[in-house]
Amino acid sequence: MSDEQKHGWFSGFFHHIELSALITIIGIILLFSCAIVVTLLAPRYVDPTWTSPTSPYQVQMYESVDHSLYISKAQTGESTLQFVNYLKKGSLFLAFRESETVRIIAPPALQKYITRVGDAKLKLTSNLLLLRKPQKAETFDAVQATAELQKKLATEWEEKHPKPAEEEKEKTESVAQATPQKPEMPRYEIWELYEIPGSEMFVVGSSENILDSWVDANYTILDPERQYPFPTDQGVVYISNPHEYRITEYAYNDQKMWRYDPEGKPIEKFADLKNHPLGFLSRAELISLGEHIYAIEGCWYCHTDQTRTLVQDVVLNGSDSFPAPPSSASEYIYQKITFPGTRRIGPDLSRVAIKRPSRDWHKGHFWSPKTASPGSIMPAFRHFFDEDPRGTSKNTVGIPNYHFEAIYQYLMTKGTRITPPTQAWWLGQDPIHTKEIIEGEYIPPP
Amino acid sequence: MVKYEDLPVKLMLYPAIFFMIMGMTVGVFIAFNGFLFPDYFAGEYVHFGRVRPVHVGTVTLLWLLSADIGLIYYFVPRLCGVPIWSKPIACLSAGLWWLALVIGVYSYPFGTNFGWEYAELPNWVSIVPTKAITTLAWVLVVINILMTIATRKYEKMYVSLWYTMGTMIWTTFTFITGSYGINWVPEGISRVNVSFFYVHNLVGLIFTPMGLAAAYYFLPKLANTPIYSHKLSMVGFWSIAFVYAWIGSHHIIHGPVSQWLQTTSIVFSLWLFIPVWTVVTNLFATLKDQWAQYSQSAPIRFLMMGNIFYLLTCIQGPLMALRNINEITSKTDWVIGHSHISLYGTFTFFAIAGIYQAIPVITNKPLWSKRLANWHFTLNMLGSVPFLLALWVGGFWQGMLWSTWANGTSYATFHNNLTMMTFIDTIAEMHPFWVLRAVGGVIILFANILFVVNIFNTIVLKPVPAMKRAEAKVTP
Repeated sequence: MSDEQKHGWFSGFFHHIELSALITIIGIILLFSCAIVVTLLAPRYVDPTWTSPTSPYQVQMYESVDHSLYISKAQTGESTLQFVNYLKKGSLFLAFRESETVRIIAPPALQKYITRVGDAKLKLTSNLLLLRKPQKAETFDAVQATAELQKKLATEWEEKHPKPAEEEKEKTESVAQATPQKPEMPRYEIWELYEIPGSEMFVVGSSENILDSWVDANYTILDPERQYPFPTDQGVVYISNPHEYRITEYAYNDQKMWRYDPEGKPIEKFADLKNHPLGFLSRAELISLGEHIYAIEGCWYCHTDQTRTLVQDVVLNGSDSFPAPPSSASEYIYQKITFPGTRRIGPDLSRVAIKRPSRDWHKGHFWSPKTASPGSIMPAFRHFFDEDPRGTSKNTVGIPNYHFEAIYQYLMTKGTRITPPTQAWWLGQDPIHTKEIIEGEYIPPP
Repeated sequence: MVKYEDLPVKLMLYPAIFFMIMGMTVGVFIAFNGFLFPDYFAGEYVHFGRVRPVHVGTVTLLWLLSADIGLIYYFVPRLCGVPIWSKPIACLSAGLWWLALVIGVYSYPFGTNFGWEYAELPNWVSIVPTKAITTLAWVLVVINILMTIATRKYEKMYVSLWYTMGTMIWTTFTFITGSYGINWVPEGISRVNVSFFYVHNLVGLIFTPMGLAAAYYFLPKLANTPIYSHKLSMVGFWSIAFVYAWIGSHHIIHGPVSQWLQTTSIVFSLWLFIPVWTVVTNLFATLKDQWAQYSQSAPIRFLMMGNIFYLLTCIQGPLMALRNINEITSKTDWVIGHSHISLYGTFTFFAIAGIYQAIPVITNKPLWSKRLANWHFTLNMLGSVPFLLALWVGGFWQGMLWSTWANGTSYATFHNNLTMMTFIDTIAEMHPFWVLRAVGGVIILFANILFVVNIFNTIVLKPVPAMKRAEAKVTP
């Protein structure tokens, strides 16, 4: 009774909590929420770099290219790793580009997609078109067209390079070394451009990581009415002269095997690409898996992933001639987990794809860091490798499994996607004046 | 006379003491296998990156946090004058706690690391939802403690209760923010920011108030003297409440977060001097005229040394947040030294002092050996001084070496500096410090094994009657 009188309205459950304690609890929650609002919730609205991408290149790489490039390992073949671009209408741009030795023939309806030598603008399309060895079809006889083109090219060549006259040849015999012989006619590559009937196609991909084809000047998009999930006016990633990816299956010791074969049979459907025995993984999947590996292996306890705004950091991560730009918040927006790190007993990794781009270097280094980099205290990661399945390898390093490819692809995103390759910092492009700032010569604009 | 229920205390304290040894053993293993003989025991499950979170998880969650909960179960009822609100709930939460955390922490080598610092606990290990169970166990602790306080008999609330109540609220929010909330914000730096908020508050709003609650309870108990100033302790409490939640982003100074946020965290870091000085002054002033007790009692020595370490760590903290000092110390072993002085030098010392006071009370037997306790303290000091010095001096040295790359005025010079002293050269320079660190670590481990022996014997052995002990002393 007396309690209730003393404490007034908050009797009952809190009846033994004195007023000051209640105020304490409320006070704590108030102060705490205040801090959360200002330091955790507000920044991303105040500072747009927390959520906006660094460049249209970054957007296209993460949102489009990574989802279309598929990687797997053929059991045999010219190169172990296989790259396939899986394309649908409107997913990625294609260019069909002629050069001095590469010529493209096409039925009249497709002529507009070809960029001829001397054309001012690169023509890009996201329709499902491919190049193949000229074939005879009902509507368009590419074999005959090829023969005609061959003949035409030979005549042109003869006109351009007339046979030197006999006397001239004699005259110049004394200085024969310096005289150019009549150049031999090059072997022209002639391809037929054709339209794929279905809604998807599988294209031979490139193993190149950093210099994926990119165009940001003198290009035109031929299907302007189509909507793309990313802006296309500041440059686009494209695939040049695509061919279909085909395979041949065969048996080895009763095992079903497969290899890349341009003459083989096409891949029928997307599921075949993903499933056994082909087992392709998209680069997006590999990068995501690489991020997971980076987390569970604890790479981030020794390696930082941030170039700080300090001279020592931009120098540590810089190339021979150019400092690395400091990390910006927008570099990380496509990562589920970000590992800026708190300690550096291994070098910083935020620009590792520029410092160490070689797959072979990473193979050797993960296999035995102490050998690859004397003095290193990094543990070996032999579980990124398989035993040589047939024991015929002359390698001293094991055969990398998909864990290796995943962590490699993840590392190769570091520092390469800040700007398009044409404006890259390692080429000396420096829009934020890193070099001038660290050399003490930067004068901010008024 | 109230009969206090001490089973929950035992359920938390006994395993915690065991895991202290486990965690320190893993730490020593890392000091050798990670640094002195890198990768000597090599392989997927024992390499540094997979074992380090086991060390950190064991000493922070399985040892320190669990021990602190045990001590809270011990002193909160005694300060309230009532037994714990619900003994079954306390036992249930202890069971869930150990189940989830032991499975969670020891699953890291098998690839379950969640990927955020101090929040490595996975959502699932096989069929066990470790994170959810841990959260549930903690919520049960909170309900139990708050209800105990709400139903208390003594009306006045001692400062330890304030800190405990603060801990209950802060820890809940901090844990939920760091473990779940991190997935509710956009990917990238927003998550980093939440992560560092959590990382810092784990120390600042979980271990600090828990440790201080214990220190404020156990020092007057051990020294049998009232606390110097209740008002001063209140100032400390409120300044902690005011300051800590703001300073998470001082972990990423010079990094890719907005400058204004970095500056905010630096300013609030400097405010930290206030709570620290109030605590240190208060504890020292409590023992002011009775320094003789310092030499007579190992637990008091642990408490007062912990207090000195607290002063050191909190002088370091704000200074490390200054941009120019951060440039040298950040990302080096200095940081590792800093986290060890706070979680080991300060709060582990506080918890040890508390255990020394609590064990005789809950077992109703005197401590098995005072002499062993003295050795425990002495060896702990002998081990921790080289251990911590090696990390500070080594870390500072490494930071200085990195800063030599910035000597000069042109990029050509900078780059030349780097080729003259490569990154890997600066790692080689650390070797002697790592030797010293490993030696210190071994001594600390040994000292704490003595502690376990002492506590184990106290619990298990029949106490020798005081008469006999006096005789035994005379006979030789």
